[in-house]
Amino acid sequence: MAADPILEIQGLDLGFTAYGQTTQVLHGVDLRIEAGQRVAVIGESGSGKTVTMKTVIGTLPHPAGRVLGGSIRFQGRELLTLSRRERDRLKGTDISIVHQDPLTSFNPVFTIGRHLNDVLRFADRRLGAATDRADRQRRIEATLSQVQLKEPERVLRSYPFQLSGGMRQRVLIAMALLHRPKLLIADEPGTALDVTTQDEIMRLLNQLVSEEQLTLLMVTHNLAIVRQTSDYVYVMQAGRIVEHGAVCDIFGMPRMPYTRQLLDAIPPLYGPRVQRREAHGHSAVITTNGLLKRFVAPRRWLEPASPPVTAVRGATLSISRGDIFGIAGESGSGKTTMARMIMGLLPPTSGRIAIDGRSIEELRKDPAFRHRVQIVYQNPASSLNPRRTVAQTLAVPLAFAGSVGRGERNARIRNLLAQVELPAQFASRYPHQLSGGQKQRVAIARALAVEPEILVLDEPTSALDVSVQKTVIDLLLSLREQLGLTYLFISHDLSLMRNFCNRIAVMFRGEICEQGTTEAVFEHPRHAYTRALIASIPVISEAEERAKPVVTLEERRAVLASTVQ
Amino acid sequence: MTAASDVARVVDEPSNLTRAWRRFLRNPAAVIGALIVISVVAAAVLAPSLASYPAHAGSFVDFRSRHLAPSLVHFMGTDNVGRDIFSRVLFGYRISLLLVVGVLGVAVPLGVLFGLLAGYFAGAVETAVMGFTNVMLAMPPLVMALAITAVLSPDLINSMIAITCLWWTWHCRLVYRVAKSVAAEDFVEAARLAGASHMHVLFRELLPNCTAAISVKTTLDAGFVILFGASLSFLGLGVQPPTPDLGTMVATGAQFLPEMWWEAVMPGLAILYAILGFNLLGDGLRDMMDVEI
Amino acid sequence: MIASYLVRRAIGFVFVLFGLSVVIFVVARVVPGDPARIALGPLATNEQVAQLHREMGFDKPAALQYFDYLGGVLHGDFGRSLLTNRPVAADIAEALPATLELVLFTLLLIMLVAVPAGVLAARWHNTWIDNASRLVSLLGVVTPGFVVALLLQLFASLFNFFPLTGRLSPDLGFVPDITRLALVDALLKGRLDVFTDALSHIFLPALALSAAGIGQVMRITRSSMLDVAKRDHVETLRSFGVPGWVITLEYMLRLACIAPLTILGLEFASLMGNAFIVELVFAWPGFASYGVRAILSKDFNAVMAVVLMSGLFFVVANLLIDLLIGLIDPRLRVRRT
Repeated sequence: MAADPILEIQGLDLGFTAYGQTTQVLHGVDLRIEAGQRVAVIGESGSGKTVTMKTVIGTLPHPAGRVLGGSIRFQGRELLTLSRRERDRLKGTDISIVHQDPLTSFNPVFTIGRHLNDVLRFADRRLGAATDRADRQRRIEATLSQVQLKEPERVLRSYPFQLSGGMRQRVLIAMALLHRPKLLIADEPGTALDVTTQDEIMRLLNQLVSEEQLTLLMVTHNLAIVRQTSDYVYVMQAGRIVEHGAVCDIFGMPRMPYTRQLLDAIPPLYGPRVQRREAHGHSAVITTNGLLKRFVAPRRWLEPASPPVTAVRGATLSISRGDIFGIAGESGSGKTTMARMIMGLLPPTSGRIAIDGRSIEELRKDPAFRHRVQIVYQNPASSLNPRRTVAQTLAVPLAFAGSVGRGERNARIRNLLAQVELPAQFASRYPHQLSGGQKQRVAIARALAVEPEILVLDEPTSALDVSVQKTVIDLLLSLREQLGLTYLFISHDLSLMRNFCNRIAVMFRGEICEQGTTEAVFEHPRHAYTRALIASIPVISEAEERAKPVVTLEERRAVLASTVQ
Repeated sequence: MTAASDVARVVDEPSNLTRAWRRFLRNPAAVIGALIVISVVAAAVLAPSLASYPAHAGSFVDFRSRHLAPSLVHFMGTDNVGRDIFSRVLFGYRISLLLVVGVLGVAVPLGVLFGLLAGYFAGAVETAVMGFTNVMLAMPPLVMALAITAVLSPDLINSMIAITCLWWTWHCRLVYRVAKSVAAEDFVEAARLAGASHMHVLFRELLPNCTAAISVKTTLDAGFVILFGASLSFLGLGVQPPTPDLGTMVATGAQFLPEMWWEAVMPGLAILYAILGFNLLGDGLRDMMDVEI
Repeated sequence: MIASYLVRRAIGFVFVLFGLSVVIFVVARVVPGDPARIALGPLATNEQVAQLHREMGFDKPAALQYFDYLGGVLHGDFGRSLLTNRPVAADIAEALPATLELVLFTLLLIMLVAVPAGVLAARWHNTWIDNASRLVSLLGVVTPGFVVALLLQLFASLFNFFPLTGRLSPDLGFVPDITRLALVDALLKGRLDVFTDALSHIFLPALALSAAGIGQVMRITRSSMLDVAKRDHVETLRSFGVPGWVITLEYMLRLACIAPLTILGLEFASLMGNAFIVELVFAWPGFASYGVRAILSKDFNAVMAVVLMSGLFFVVANLLIDLLIGLIDPRLRVRRT
């Protein structure tokens, strides 16, 4: 007789009750995980994947969340009919979860050691085993070394904010492993981390699954990372399982249109689907030379001075007219600092910046400068004043920089809205009445109001849903054609840049480690960091995987700021 | 999702304001607060018509009717010189509301202005304004008000001045905090990059984001100004007799506790009633506008 | 390090006290009318007034007077009271312990009542416990201090449970002379009868004084707990099966009590002000009654001293609260690495 599957969900219906009304959020969900399998549940926000996960663990808010029908069996036992006490015994012991956001998952006023000790202590108590502190300490330190954290005593003594994101994520994994669970659920693992760190965490999970004979259930919206870390995939949409199958089947021959849509939305790194942008040989419009930016934190009384932070060092680059120039980098690489210096918002400590031959110092004093360079911000929610209508927001640059009179203003606003493909009625709307993509279009319209030549785009699509990103990018491309703009595109999303930029500069720890046409950088990356970075990006086909640069373990270790420090 | 659908998605919800009002009306405490405030304002405005004995609000004595317990004729009884307490309470509300208008009318704009300046310009302006504000906030407000009113002669205008001198600092600190966090948002920088003047940023970009917090605090403060004013006059430093003032009435009535309890308790409850109304209303506004104070 | 954090705050407070002294000096000097003449009475001759002027240093320029005063203050000399003709410092030293005791007891009362009530209200929010506590806290906030004081006196006289005025029954013949705090000294000397007597005397005034504070702190504690309950780390602990009461009392409470502590510090100035009224109504022999008399008779050395002392109370209370918050929240004392 075949062993019971670790987890079997059959016909699960779930609803949320508020003010006497029940809204059904899960419809007949079926899911099956065999022991030792790695299963992924894919879905965008609102698909119901998080709710399903919470129901399995037993942390649904009650009485709001109610199971309306169906069953969940763990190793043959029906979970939904268990008493609360029995259910609690499974938490952290048989079924464990690794949470998504390593920063907010910890209470900031307690040490890591305190968190881990309490979790272990109460788990032991629930199982009726009395343990002493020394024994628990041993087990905690053993688990920490399993997740490859060096200096476990130091980690245990630290407060959450003293550790890096990667270290915190490892601690969360350790917390989940403390009691040797049978089923490990990972909630969007690594989403809050840099792609290189995320890659390391995925490798760690794979290693743990094989070493500890774990069963892994991964819940995520990122289809690409699933390919390397799962055997079987379930696709969810609007509370239903739309499609399921082995990884190679789903990626190779997706049947349902929704699945195909999700796969299509992932920008390709290599292969025929890549949108290649040509690098023209036009004259340089922005040049920088040996830029250095050092930040000195103001000295606080009675504390030793903190060492100055070098955000950018020796940065030399050249952007030609009409380019879509990308500056790629992970957090802390200095890319945002570069953008702000080029905008004239931040004076460099040393080095030169010239726009069309004129130095930045000269330009900053020239009010007409603002007509030439504008910026579109990352977060649409904070880039528009929530208390001003679209028309009022657009009127500001028109009135001040453009000196457009009252009469003409409405016409100009209508034109701007038309340029960003928004209907004219939107002029009287407030930001909260707009979607994320619409807000971003308004932000673009505002930047265009003064008729700039150069647009600095600071991660303009990071805060948007994947499906909306594409529409905004398309708009930007068409605007560039129409208005002859030059773009400086700051981002951490290399797949996006692969298909959008024609030239790329890769920044690492404040230095530009690689620069060239997109084609050259991706096909023949020279610097070890660039190679490691590209190699970390999850792709959706074997062919692309093979086309990625090869990086040895030593090279990875040597280059990356290890997440274990 | 195609470009067309992303763009054409019309958000067809009722405006934020309508939703907020509905939230307000669903909150029974807020509605009660609003009704109380309306009744207090009505009482003050219509005092001459509503009071059973309007003449008692001035200098009036009728020693035969002294210390009468509350009855149908005198709803709140009479005081030690025979005046109808209910009528005096209604007129007393006039003084209270005058105080509120006088104090908040000056303190709020002053505090808002300095708070905006400190939050936006930071640097030396911030240090100067907030340094001064912190000094004022360290002082027990009652003591300062007592000192000021004692120095000038005690009457309505002078108590207003005394209270205003302290009150603006609370609004300044509140607006400073809000303005400072709003000033860090991208849209403020975007406005400056678009060439907006400092005036525009202060009053067209920052201020509209502060109005919710300011309205809630002003409403709550109306109650607290009344409380403060009553405390001042309880100590004998507010309006002088025979003008009816609620705090003074409590002070005079306190001499006759516990036998003629109504002489102190009734005006006390009247003060409580007014403050309660403003407080409930302010809380309701706070919930409605989802503001953190 | 926590020490540097506190020292920085302390220095800020020193500036506040400094500013306070300037402001009150300016206010006191703006007196229309001649304080010397008022002190001496309407029958004083011009020479007597002039002599008092010289004695008090009123003939020197204002700035010089201020620095003289400041110098004196730093040596503990607050000048001479125009009313009692004794050194103000001595008057205040006599009256201070009573106010100190009242304020400390009030703070204790607030923390012991309001914080648990807030936690319970949050835990059972939207039930009758929550609504009852919200009603109580509302009443505490909206009722003026003197109304609470008078109502308490009214009920006390009806039920004869607590004494209405004073600090200690005179027939016990007890003088607190160790810490000058009656409650503490009674315990130290083993006099339980004095302790209960002092307790019964302090209870009503403290209750009156704490009403507003309890209201505020209870409400803030409740909303802070509700806010923390929504945070991710609470969810994390729950998914590991950590018992609810551990999460509430250890993890949530420690984080949530930062807000009420901060509010308490800020409210302290109001508390001091209310103490004046409560001391008056209950005839509590603290420096509030002294202060009110000083203000009414324009005895401005005394007035300035009273204001400065109140400011000092505020500063010390806030420093203690900052210490507590610093101990709780490591982000304030440990540097980010």
